Amino acid sequence: MNRYLYDGTPEGLVSAIAGILDNGTDPQVSLLVERQDTLFEEGLFFRTDPVAAESLFSRLRQKAPDAVHTLWYFMMAETEGQETSLLRYVALALQHGDRINGHLTDADVKAIVSTARKAGRELHRMKGLLRFEQLRDGTWLARMEPDHNVIHPLARHFSRRLKGQQWFIYDVRRRSAAHWDGQALSFGTLEQFSRPELSDEELEVRAMWQAFFRTIAIPERKNPRLQKSNMPAKYWKYLTEKQGE
Amino acid sequence: MDMQEKLGILSGAARYDASCASSGCGREAPLRGTGNTSQGGICHSWSDDGRCISLLKILLSNDCRYDCAYCVNRSSNPVPRASFTAREIVDLTMEFYRRNYIEGLFLSSAVMKGPDQTMEEMVRVAEILRNEELFGGYIHLKVIPGSSPELVRRAGLAADRVSVNIELPSSESLHRLAPQKRKESILEPMKLIGGEIGTSLVERRSSRKAPRFAPAGQSTQMIIGASPETDLQILRLSQGLYKRMNLKRVYYSAFVPVNEDNRLPVLASPPLLREHRLYQADWLLRFYGFTAEEILSEQMPDLDESFDPKTAWALRHPEFFPVEVNRADYGTLLRVPGIGVTSAKRIVAARRFSLLTHEGMKKIGVVMKRAKYFITCSGRPFEKPDREPLQLRQRLLLGDGSDPVPAPRQLVLFS
Repeated sequence: MNRYLYDGTPEGLVSAIAGILDNGTDPQVSLLVERQDTLFEEGLFFRTDPVAAESLFSRLRQKAPDAVHTLWYFMMAETEGQETSLLRYVALALQHGDRINGHLTDADVKAIVSTARKAGRELHRMKGLLRFEQLRDGTWLARMEPDHNVIHPLARHFSRRLKGQQWFIYDVRRRSAAHWDGQALSFGTLEQFSRPELSDEELEVRAMWQAFFRTIAIPERKNPRLQKSNMPAKYWKYLTEKQGE
Repeated sequence: MDMQEKLGILSGAARYDASCASSGCGREAPLRGTGNTSQGGICHSWSDDGRCISLLKILLSNDCRYDCAYCVNRSSNPVPRASFTAREIVDLTMEFYRRNYIEGLFLSSAVMKGPDQTMEEMVRVAEILRNEELFGGYIHLKVIPGSSPELVRRAGLAADRVSVNIELPSSESLHRLAPQKRKESILEPMKLIGGEIGTSLVERRSSRKAPRFAPAGQSTQMIIGASPETDLQILRLSQGLYKRMNLKRVYYSAFVPVNEDNRLPVLASPPLLREHRLYQADWLLRFYGFTAEEILSEQMPDLDESFDPKTAWALRHPEFFPVEVNRADYGTLLRVPGIGVTSAKRIVAARRFSLLTHEGMKKIGVVMKRAKYFITCSGRPFEKPDREPLQLRQRLLLGDGSDPVPAPRQLVLFS
């Protein structure tokens, strides 16, 4: 086995994969892991190389656009310990093209595709479950704690949908924020965060939504298990309709 | 009456409409406007009955002049009555949409002064949303039977989806339980909508600027279990609606007894399992290449409660099985119990790389619980090739004795 190291960043990961593939090493006998801060770690270290990473991306985009998507979602998952699988997946994608995502009997392909699928599922879910609140100054705030780092594509979704309002999306777990000022998106991290006061109107609309939520269910068909399996309780914290339960 | 009380009455009265789909049409937000639509639809919440909420589903009014036996809003019922103004609904929709509570609006109504007056008011809501608020989100408008063709056309131009409820599976039942509604007043707007959708699609092929008419298509709904029709009659009706009227969806709504009326059956609880089986059969019609006559027959006019309709079909057709997963085409794979659209696609994609083995089937995520009795992998069966129908029935029912017979599940409404 050849052992390779990278610096733990997503860019570093793609750079290392590009480096290994350019070396001509067989990915099936290679291991790729994040470098730890020990003095005598074995393995060849690849430093972050934006040019190499970009060239790998453009090759992949040409040969297997679906795999680029998968890679994109995989990165949102921020999983640890799947780097070697990713290396082998990328090598296979360059070889077979888009149909690689159907090669689910291969353990590495399956690992990457299912991780990516989970991230994609949560992104879709958050498009529905995110709740904006109106603040006193008229801007809007949505808070969330998703398992996956979905803030970039999520913010792009809302920049097309709610383009006439100024809003923030805040990922409480990662302390990262997205801001739409009506024209452009920007991203950043917040060291400190406290929720500003809500507008008066906000409380009225919220009460209306809660009333709607209560009455739209058919009492004869009550089914809390089905509700929970569709909308896991971990998302309830920021759901307007689930406050006070 | 304050808004919250009105909302309680008019959403409570709208909850028996099954449809909440927001899919079927992708559109960017209008310039300087708010809201777009997503091709796949988006669910925003799930209510206490487990059904998804994607649209603000409300009635314009529950003040009905009709007296349909099954309906909670019938004129003879002593329920509190309320009506919204168009502006109130528009504001509510926009406020909810800005907070991402909803994908859009689903507007229905009781028949107030008459079909045209009611429809006109409903269409006005949609037109204000589109033209004044520049709203680009999803709108589903219910069409009131008997409203004029001109109003139906305006509805289709403003809405993403329109639907006329067929209400009951036969015209005799309609006559008996909804005496003020006529079959023709339901079928005529359906035909008109179908025609306009077709015309609009043709026109848009030559000009991208041609107006879109109900781009997310037409649907309908019927009540199951309030009248004596068999499942075969119901499926034949749906099949006709899909084939001849080009409907996108037929919704089935288990009859919930909200009124006492000697024209109605007395049920201990809504027939949820029957509704679930009908949806499964409906899926077979739309995505699996089955016909109503394959699923049911005059000798066996009702769906089996113990087995899903595909398994029931498979048990009647031992000659079709086993299916060899490494060779069978997509359409044949779809006929295997337990193999759905996703699994069939995965099988076809995976076998391009290598022959599928038993382990391979599990790896790609095919649920083998039912499928294992009906397939072979490179000639090797999963189970002993003992296909004594009676025994197979038993094993399917008991799930090999290892897991208990699943309790009747309430259906999951797909969007």
